[in-house]
Amino acid sequence: MSAVTKLFGSFAALNGIDLSVARGEKVVVCGPSGSGKSTLIRCINHIEKHDGGSIVVDGCILDHKAANVDRVRREVGMVFQSFNLFPHMSVLANCMLAPMLVRGLKAVEAEEVAIGFLRRVRIADQATKYPSQLSGGQQQRVAIARAMCMRPKIMLLDEPTSALDPEMVKEVLDTMMELGARASVDGMTMICVAHEMGFAREVADRVIFMDEGAIVEEGAPEQFFCQPKTQRARNFLSRILH
Amino acid sequence: MTADWVSGYGLQLLWGVVTTLSVTLMALIIGTVFGISLGAVKIYGAKPFRYSAEVYTALVRGVPDLIIIYLIYFGGTVALTKLTGRYVDINGFAAGVASLAFIFAAYASDIFRGAIKQVPRGQFDAAHALGLSRRAAFLRIILPQAWRLALPGFGNLAIILIKQTSLISVIGLEELLRASSVISGATRQPFLVYSVTAILYLIMTSFASWGFRHARIWSNRGFA
Amino acid sequence: MLEFSIMADALPSLLKGAGLTGRLAVLILLLGMTIAVPLAYARNAQSIWLHGPAKIYILVVRGVPSLLQVFIVYYGLGQLSFVRSSVLWPVLRDPFWCVIIALGLNSAAYTAEIVAGALRMVPKGLLEASQALGLSWFQTQRKVAIPLAVRAALPAYESEIILTIKATSLASTITLLDLTGAARLEVSNTFAPYEVFLTAGAIYFCITTSLSWLLRRFEERLSTDHRTGERSAKKLQPVLPALTNH
Repeated sequence: MSAVTKLFGSFAALNGIDLSVARGEKVVVCGPSGSGKSTLIRCINHIEKHDGGSIVVDGCILDHKAANVDRVRREVGMVFQSFNLFPHMSVLANCMLAPMLVRGLKAVEAEEVAIGFLRRVRIADQATKYPSQLSGGQQQRVAIARAMCMRPKIMLLDEPTSALDPEMVKEVLDTMMELGARASVDGMTMICVAHEMGFAREVADRVIFMDEGAIVEEGAPEQFFCQPKTQRARNFLSRILH
Repeated sequence: MTADWVSGYGLQLLWGVVTTLSVTLMALIIGTVFGISLGAVKIYGAKPFRYSAEVYTALVRGVPDLIIIYLIYFGGTVALTKLTGRYVDINGFAAGVASLAFIFAAYASDIFRGAIKQVPRGQFDAAHALGLSRRAAFLRIILPQAWRLALPGFGNLAIILIKQTSLISVIGLEELLRASSVISGATRQPFLVYSVTAILYLIMTSFASWGFRHARIWSNRGFA
Repeated sequence: MLEFSIMADALPSLLKGAGLTGRLAVLILLLGMTIAVPLAYARNAQSIWLHGPAKIYILVVRGVPSLLQVFIVYYGLGQLSFVRSSVLWPVLRDPFWCVIIALGLNSAAYTAEIVAGALRMVPKGLLEASQALGLSWFQTQRKVAIPLAVRAALPAYESEIILTIKATSLASTITLLDLTGAARLEVSNTFAPYEVFLTAGAIYFCITTSLSWLLRRFEERLSTDHRTGERSAKKLQPVLPALTNH
């Protein structure tokens, strides 16, 4: 990803971002709200159209052509801040939909895959329920399972815990840590917008700090959290730690 | 007299009910498909298409249904006659269904547009993130949710449609109203015949509104 | 291709028909509103003897096609001997009055539903306050409930006006030469359905569109006055100096 810009009207949400993430690398992106972190990862699977620069995902150039966009989205999974589960489908149907429509799996195969991942997020017993019958934490775990069912090479997580009640954050974080551990085994790349330091320390290979649409600082989690180099990062850290 | 009612006229009225219901159903299906497409065009379409769709709805809203029915029936006859070179009498059923579907779609498109717009944007994002095509995202994710939101307005339109079928009696199709006019003439008891007809319409519209009320309750299951 | 000469030739008789369409619409709306207000009060009433019949009337009228209602009044009533012998028979034999009665009774049901809904939206506290000030029931309705309900009812009543104009085209089915009737006559003379019906449709469209534009403007003015309170402030101004004189 080089020199990427994104404009909302005259406001530059992303202002010349250069970033490369290696296969299998686990990156945590943090920064104050409005700094462009969400926009950044929404550009990677073209949910948000970038206005300048170039983005290459898994060897495929994202050039607004439908064929390339489809190819990238097949390999990139995403978990949203607000879950975005499909309310008119059961938990199981949510997880089976894309594997069947996009990957062309048969219903039996898709169900097997779905049950497998639902079990991993420890929610398989709720498979026939509708999303509205679940708690926020459970919904977000379903959303993680749904994204995993596509067996993505790259996983994008957009503040998966920030819309949750405090008592539910832990169950989702645990799921994400497990996801990170498995990612190391499978070689799945993870890019996660998150503020939880514990999670970042445990899982991340690298932390990226963004402000005002630009990458201000990056480094190993230990170094970033203990000895931030820039004043802006120090201000930010002091605010989230207290 | 009583025997006539049971055998001949009763059957004729019943046949009128059947015709009315078939016209309603056909116009409803065609009009709904057309109306959803038109609603989608109004949201996603390129400017010239969007604009034409708006003009179409405005025209139907501003002109009496009878004029539209006459235009499609007589206009269709003239067009086909010129096209084939000999006199063609256009089928009343087809013209009736076509014009009612044409009218229905104009109103339905606004209801579906409103419903589609109410579906949260995140649903589209999630569908795209999973790799679903625009088409699949619309048909599998957006439309099923929009249906629930569109149901109250859609039900009203469907009940209006049942009543609108009476208008195509003017082009000679023997639906319920036309049948009862014929019987009125034969029996010279118009008040009686038309009152019976009114009760038949009332049964159809009440049944439809009962059905839509239950459909609404059913479709809201699982939603807070 | 369209022949514009036919359109031009048909125009005078179509415009004459449009005149009748306008007269019908005005009379139907007047009759409808006259019946609708008491009907709306009956519908909102506590007593089942009042709201029961009102609800049944509204349900029946709205559940049956308006064309059938026109036929019942025009063809049906003549079958009843007491109608034929009554003083009203000359009126009920005239298709003009039949359309007005049938569609007026029809419009009354729809309008009553609009008015009743608007009256229910008036906050209860305002009515209680006005009665606490010593205003009678009639005064409360006239000074508080109705002015507030009118604003609430306006958008829905606007579309009732447009629907009524469109509904007058049903008059053509019982021999009246309103805009639609005149168009049918012209078509049978010229057999040029496209030209004539398109012209008639265009006239209808001009009438309904310009009217709904005017009504929306009117409504906007009312609602902005309401929001800023400009109008009520102006009304108060001449009163205030008078007060200081005392």
